[in-house]
Amino acid sequence: MKYRIVHKTAYKYSEPASLSQNELILEPRDTAFQRVGQAHLSILPEPQYSSSRIDFFGNRVQVFMVQHPHTELTMTATSQVETISPGDPAPQQTLPWENTVQTLCGHSQVEALDAFQFVFASPMITIGPRMRDYALLSFPPGRPVLEGAVDLMGRIFNEFAYDKSATTVDTPVEQVLEERKGVCQDFAHLAISCLRSLGLAARYVSGYLETLPPPGKPKLVGADASHAWLSIYVPGTGWMDLDPTNNQIPGERHITLAWGRDYGDVTPVKGVVMGGGMHTLSVMVDVAAQE
Amino acid sequence: MIEPDNTGPASLFDPMCFPGDTLCEAFTPDGMPREHWQPLMQAFDAIAPSVLAQRQDRVRRMRHEDGATFNPFDSSGGRGTPWALDMIPLPITADEWAGIEAGLIQRAGLMERILADVYGPQNFLHQGALPAELIYANPHFLRPCHGVVPVGNRHLTIYAVDLYRGVDGRFRVLRDWAGNPAGLGYALENRIVVSRVFSDLYHLTQIRRLAPFFHTLHTSMAQRVAGRGQDPGLVLLSPGPDSRIYFEHALLSRYLGYPLVEGQDLTVRNGEVFLKKLAGLEPVDTILRHIPEENSDPFALRLNNGNGVAGLIQACREKHVDVVNPIGSGFVDTPVLSVFLPALCRQLMGADLILESHPVWWCGDAGARAYALANLKQLEIKWAMERCGTPAPEPSPNVDLAARINAAPHAMMASAPVQTATVPAWNPDSVGPRYTLLRVFACATTDGFSVMPGGLAICAADMPTLLGDSPENQQSKDIWVYSDRPVTAFSMISSLKTVSEFTRGSDLPSRVADHLLWLGRYLERAEGLTRLLRSVFRRLSGETRLVDIPEFPFLISLLRSENTIPKMSDNSDTIPRYRELKRQLNTALYDVDRPQSVVTILKRVQGAARNVRDRLSLDSWRVINRLDDFGNMALSDPLDILEDTLFTLSAFSGLAMESMTRGLGWRFMDMGRRLERAINQAQLIRLGLPRVCADSRSALESLLEISDSIMTYRARYRTAFQLAPVMDLLVLDETNPKSLAFQCSQIATHVEKLPRRDQRRFATAEERLALKMLTAVRLLDLSGLDCQKYGDRHAALEGFLITMEERLTEFAQQVSAHYLTRVPTTPHFSALHGESSP
Repeated sequence: MKYRIVHKTAYKYSEPASLSQNELILEPRDTAFQRVGQAHLSILPEPQYSSSRIDFFGNRVQVFMVQHPHTELTMTATSQVETISPGDPAPQQTLPWENTVQTLCGHSQVEALDAFQFVFASPMITIGPRMRDYALLSFPPGRPVLEGAVDLMGRIFNEFAYDKSATTVDTPVEQVLEERKGVCQDFAHLAISCLRSLGLAARYVSGYLETLPPPGKPKLVGADASHAWLSIYVPGTGWMDLDPTNNQIPGERHITLAWGRDYGDVTPVKGVVMGGGMHTLSVMVDVAAQE
Repeated sequence: MIEPDNTGPASLFDPMCFPGDTLCEAFTPDGMPREHWQPLMQAFDAIAPSVLAQRQDRVRRMRHEDGATFNPFDSSGGRGTPWALDMIPLPITADEWAGIEAGLIQRAGLMERILADVYGPQNFLHQGALPAELIYANPHFLRPCHGVVPVGNRHLTIYAVDLYRGVDGRFRVLRDWAGNPAGLGYALENRIVVSRVFSDLYHLTQIRRLAPFFHTLHTSMAQRVAGRGQDPGLVLLSPGPDSRIYFEHALLSRYLGYPLVEGQDLTVRNGEVFLKKLAGLEPVDTILRHIPEENSDPFALRLNNGNGVAGLIQACREKHVDVVNPIGSGFVDTPVLSVFLPALCRQLMGADLILESHPVWWCGDAGARAYALANLKQLEIKWAMERCGTPAPEPSPNVDLAARINAAPHAMMASAPVQTATVPAWNPDSVGPRYTLLRVFACATTDGFSVMPGGLAICAADMPTLLGDSPENQQSKDIWVYSDRPVTAFSMISSLKTVSEFTRGSDLPSRVADHLLWLGRYLERAEGLTRLLRSVFRRLSGETRLVDIPEFPFLISLLRSENTIPKMSDNSDTIPRYRELKRQLNTALYDVDRPQSVVTILKRVQGAARNVRDRLSLDSWRVINRLDDFGNMALSDPLDILEDTLFTLSAFSGLAMESMTRGLGWRFMDMGRRLERAINQAQLIRLGLPRVCADSRSALESLLEISDSIMTYRARYRTAFQLAPVMDLLVLDETNPKSLAFQCSQIATHVEKLPRRDQRRFATAEERLALKMLTAVRLLDLSGLDCQKYGDRHAALEGFLITMEERLTEFAQQVSAHYLTRVPTTPHFSALHGESSP
């Protein structure tokens, strides 16, 4: 599929903000199933300083500063992306999960060494016996690793309620497991925590999902949103994405922006302002299929 | 226990008993004093024990007066002193020191290469020289710093290790410090104090000086940024007075001549760092960082606390600022890193480690884990990568240590128990043994490292305290390194003259100006209140019954108007019964929970003073530390205490004013004082006006007494107290430093000298207000003011005073808004709400 993605973030301040510093991770990256054509970022008012770099995980990070008083700040990221479906990953044919843990521990191959960094707890994702116990129900001895992960994804989808009011950006994994509700970020964090508690490598993926209008209704522009899911390392196959919010293996309609250990590594928009009083935030995302 | 050989004359050091299984720095195992201790012991023995006790007390006082006391103004935090100084130095021979020096230089070089690799190509990770866990699961590895190449490619500028002497007599490294090495300032202070208290001994013995080390440190930092302009902008970044070792920051700042700044003083623009000063932004080239690295950049490291500078890491990435040590260098502090040093040293340096590390076993390695599990009883289990100070892993009722190790082996290490040597230390009135660690420092030179010949010997009575994280429970000693050559005197002050200071013009950071303004205001407030209470207590302690003192209700009503003592429920002027009044006055003096009590305002004075400690002379700092005594004297006669306090406050004002150059700092402090006095004076006269006529003429005298103008009045008018001349003196007389007119004229002068962008005069609101106030007071007509003809004239004066108070308040706000605004920063993160698709 070919998509044109527009992601517009706007801040309005009640008083002039004298200085605003921002970091954006809004440029989609190339993957085995995704090619990025053009990517463009426009900022209003014009920033006095901007810079771009590749972070520790290979994501493009854009940094900019607006250094004169302003009451509005608008950032619009536009990109052209072409995706293909990863096909059937054949979960039942993957290595038993215990062998995967072994491969990661030994990390004799470059790929496994690179995956090994996603085995540990990270600032926003704790691991522990409670998450391990929850995960083990999907991972009886000898079960192929991806089959277990798909099962875990299904359980999270069925046992947890999607509830925007239940959590915030910083809700800990334990609370999500306790209260059994949250949003895509929480479900991804929880699934990652469960997999890491077993010694498996899992990373957090930030991106978009093309939404389809209800049958017979036209698609509304800007009705889409940022989305998040996870990816698990499967020896021999590579990284396989899983979307616990929708209980599906991401295909053509999922567009990857960036990945890291957790939300904190790949926050799409973060900033700090001096002054500005109260601020209101509006986000508009449009994932439009081309052709 | 070893009995020393008792053939010679009795020595102070003789009765020292050492636990049999430890080594003693001063004595050989058979009880003979070691050769290099003998001059020291003889010198101490030549001084009477009572004199030594006095000297130790002098040491303590010198440290306190220099401000080394732990949070001296924080009543809740206790009054422990970090690394309290023990006067007996720890001598080291030239030979032994040569080994330490070589070992430290080698180790510093090794650590720097490790940092360069870990934050660069990560070859050690890919080759397996460092286990992956050490990078991926290590909180000391800061991912946002990966790829940042420090200025001059120097990853390490200041490096410290804690050494201990084991039972075999050899020194080993217990801990490495690079993230935020502490103790350099205390080592310097210890040397300054001990060399003064034992100046004869110090100057007769060939002891290596510390100053050249600081010179090297400064030179290497200055050279790195030398190409950028004539004045390298060096600052010392501190978390502020709340830090346990703020003293060290203030001392180093003063000694090295770098402005002491806090996170809010700095700002990042265009990827460069600037210092916020009254007249504008000034570029910063080098930051001597004394804030924890994980707090250095709240933006990149996603921590919301006020100590850091948002965008600092980006500025480092662009090589626009040299942060010393670079953010991320705390990787060196990783406890388990020492396991991998011997092999890395051979690989990189082609040599064995000169200074061995304390033996530890990393449980992430199967062999080491098996060893640890088999020897759990003899070993101590610790976190392999957590920061120093994190509580050690404890076995819980359900999970034993073996299970904890097996659950996360990479996170654990086993350590052999530490047994350090002991040293003689002054023990209230005699000499006794203390366990000791030696914190020694190295700094970068142009092409390598140089070691400070000396350091901080950290001491404690038991091992857990010695190894713990509470400097306030430990003592410290000066380390004397003997030289085999004559030492030359070397003064930092003269050597630094070649380097121009970072003070261009008389400009200063906005935050400092703000604190100075408040210091002036609190000082004046404290003085005014003390003077008023003194007048009250004078009358209380006299022979006259209170009902027979006509001005007494007036004085009490003044206290009530300031809320210093509670108002009567019916708002009347009734004087409470004597005992109740005494209780209320006692509260007004000592109640720390009352915002208007003397003790609270004195604490504010001290609080404001410590925020600008590096701007005050040592003498004025010593005086202000005396205010500490106020709360401790509740049993003495209040009148004496008030007299004392007034004296101390005047001494401080005098010293501070005398020792400050007439720059902007002085202006802001004096402006604060004038503002406060003007507001007080206007209010005092407004409240007193109805009284002086209604009650008695003696109220007029009290008015002059509180305003400290009786002498002036008597000298000038030589008449009984009359309303018109008193008002003339207190309001209009521009030559009387206590008059309202005098304050207004001073304020107007100060405002004129503040830096401004617009050159036009009277362009700013505060300038216009100052002029309005000065003109109003000059034009005020007080002729015909008389108690007999109470009426319009009084109303006019009262109206004038009310307007004055309003304008003064507005003036204070305008000055703050223009020069001192501290705009709060708010971080924002976009919330993420992915839709659940149907």
